[in-house]
Amino acid sequence: MMSNMRFWLVLFTVSSALAQDAGATHADWLHYGGTQYSWRYSALDQINTSNVKALTPAWIFQTGDYAENLQSTPIVQDGVLYLITARAHVFALNAATGTEIWNYRFPEPARSVPGFVGNRGVAVGDGKVFFGTKDDYLVALDQKTGRLLWKVSMDDARQCGCNITAAPLVVKDKVLVGGTGGDSAHRGYITALNTRNGRLAWRWYVIPAPGEKGNETWRGDSWRFGGGAPWLTGSYDPALNLVYWGTGNAAADFYDADRVPAGADKSKDINLYTASVVALDADTGKLRWHHQEVHDDQWDYDSAYEVLLMDREIRGRMRQILVHMNKSGMTSVLDRTTGELLSVFSVPEVRNWVSGITEDGKLVGRNEPQVGKTTTICPSAAGAKSWNSMAYSPLTGFIYVPVNEVCEDITPNSARPEEGQMYFNGAFPSHLPPGRTTYSHVDAWDPVTGKRAWSMPYKYLLLASMLTTAGGLVFTGNPEGEFFALDAKSGDKLWSYQTGAGHRGSAAAYAVNGRQYIATSTGWHGSIVGAVAQSMFPDQDWRIGSTLVVFSLPETAR
Amino acid sequence: MKKRGLWFGTAALVFAWSCAAQNADQNPSAAAKQGEQVFAKSCATGYCHGVRGGPGGAPRLAARGFETAYINNTVTNGIAGSGMRSFATALSRTDLAAVVAYVASLNDAADPNVGPDAGTSQSSGPALTGQAARGAQLFREAVRGFGRCSTCHQVAGFGIPVAAPIAQVPGAVAALKALATPNVKTGIMDGESMPVLVLRDGKQATLFYDLTSSPPVQRNAQPGSVKFNDGSNWRHSSTIGAYDDSELAAILAYLRAVTKLL
Repeated sequence: MMSNMRFWLVLFTVSSALAQDAGATHADWLHYGGTQYSWRYSALDQINTSNVKALTPAWIFQTGDYAENLQSTPIVQDGVLYLITARAHVFALNAATGTEIWNYRFPEPARSVPGFVGNRGVAVGDGKVFFGTKDDYLVALDQKTGRLLWKVSMDDARQCGCNITAAPLVVKDKVLVGGTGGDSAHRGYITALNTRNGRLAWRWYVIPAPGEKGNETWRGDSWRFGGGAPWLTGSYDPALNLVYWGTGNAAADFYDADRVPAGADKSKDINLYTASVVALDADTGKLRWHHQEVHDDQWDYDSAYEVLLMDREIRGRMRQILVHMNKSGMTSVLDRTTGELLSVFSVPEVRNWVSGITEDGKLVGRNEPQVGKTTTICPSAAGAKSWNSMAYSPLTGFIYVPVNEVCEDITPNSARPEEGQMYFNGAFPSHLPPGRTTYSHVDAWDPVTGKRAWSMPYKYLLLASMLTTAGGLVFTGNPEGEFFALDAKSGDKLWSYQTGAGHRGSAAAYAVNGRQYIATSTGWHGSIVGAVAQSMFPDQDWRIGSTLVVFSLPETAR
Repeated sequence: MKKRGLWFGTAALVFAWSCAAQNADQNPSAAAKQGEQVFAKSCATGYCHGVRGGPGGAPRLAARGFETAYINNTVTNGIAGSGMRSFATALSRTDLAAVVAYVASLNDAADPNVGPDAGTSQSSGPALTGQAARGAQLFREAVRGFGRCSTCHQVAGFGIPVAAPIAQVPGAVAALKALATPNVKTGIMDGESMPVLVLRDGKQATLFYDLTSSPPVQRNAQPGSVKFNDGSNWRHSSTIGAYDDSELAAILAYLRAVTKLL
């Protein structure tokens, strides 16, 4: 009872103070980022700073799919939890007990289909469960039974060198999804299908075709294979009817001579709309505005990451803003109605790709890789932050960010593109920056002031998403298998639990019959950025797995 | 094993079958040959699969991109909730292996889900020159989006096999534009009528492609919930608008060249 009262009290405080509660989840966790505002913030506070030390597993679900790690964010609606594994095995589970309600296995693509095995989540809506596949299908299942309803081929993976690993985003009567391929000779896009029948609603290409505005920022026909793949999940503002998405890096990653027009001014847009945040009309997919974060990206600094929508007072005026971090840790605060840049800050402690970033987003002292030379660049293409999401709490006003301190030695080459084939144009072995004993940290940043409030260092890397709650807590996991809770105000570690396998996933909070749960996917795997991390700590043997671990408080502690 | 299945090219939804069947007769391995007989006896019967992996009461099996492991698992264990039973005890171990090899051969077994030139190079494809080489590029050109041929046709390992393999390449652009598509029917579902390509219409499942817009949507409806009528207002000519006549001529030249490479 007490906790219920507290819950409503918190709710009231939040809504009156910030005139919005749209970003918070309650009993359900309906979207990849919690809500379409992508805060990864739960208004539930039954589990809080005073009782979190009593948190204990309520149930555990072993998926049985150990080909890769478990990265997916569980989705919860009306007491049912939906989970997808790396190889697109989809489960509907009783969210209070873990009992299986149904499962569906998407047929495994032929080995000749190139690309990534991995899946970051399903989406639910219109009575359906949606997900993407390695062979580029977008699939709809009946939410009640798990029966296949429809599937549509988004592309031929053998030709595009692309896959769908991101969770789709349901926006009204449409389901939106991006794809990988930003490091391939490929032209990225976001596709919207009608949820009812799978028919195409619109497709927006990241790179404009000849005759379209922005194509002039590409040299010759380089636009055809210029990458930019939006390989994660965007956000949506219902009041503005705008979809926000981050786009991938330009391809080739480390070599720009074939794609930059002669005499281009690097303080202005180049290779649009790669390395950008874009706002699209949700009904038509038409571009409303864009903000390019890295003009002529030569460091593989995707802007494909999550976009957090919030309303904050800036210089005495309430603004509808978005907060977005790119792979270098450069974080932009934009007016989300117009795309106007309000401020920029950078989060990693070790940085040499630029000597500075001005308040209006200009890059100073670009340290560009040169063909025939090896250049040490920090942060590495593994990212000051990887794909794993940050979280935002309206109670503290902080974003909570998992930051890694990693460098790399880039040696670019001038190879020509071959459609669908890798188009990095360079080797980039990663290594640890010298003179440190810790190589990552969980940070709390105030996006309005651009100041770091606290930082909790960690000796290896952090590659799991953040979750924050109205209980004043921040949750995430580490490669050693610990899932832990920090005090959202101070960063003090209040609780941790050894789940048995390393964390690459994303936690969610939900409630069933008044009981709050924290669910986290667990399971490491040495692929992509996981392999980069392991290469730097060769004596570590982080454990693989594919398990959902769900915590709650025992009766006595509630 | 000689690769087959998709080999003989592609072009339109319609003529599918006969050719695939002929093609399957060329140099099959001993196991696949034995498997063909087992298939005819045990699989292409009753309300199940069609001859030589064609569509029947059960889905088409040829040119579906099935891998050997998947076929083996399906034949051995069946598919729960469908009409596909387990043949683990019904067939001898040798016959089971043979039928798996045969179905694999219908799916371009040696390099599953990839067409005949997959072993050479994805980017170069078969050794084509001039107009045919240009046609190969146009056939799957990414710039055409969902208007490219490979949205519905798989040739030489590229594309999505919505349509059955092309059996006959139209002689000229005019013939391509006038192509008859008797396989496209009209489906009526929830009061809505749509052009469809039926994959399966049985007691266990109703599986079809909705061709209303591109890309086609593969739909899995409750059995009996869709009424299929012969004929449709769908025209192949309405799907090729991304190309001009000279480009279509090049694509036809490509398809003819691929067919000759058999």
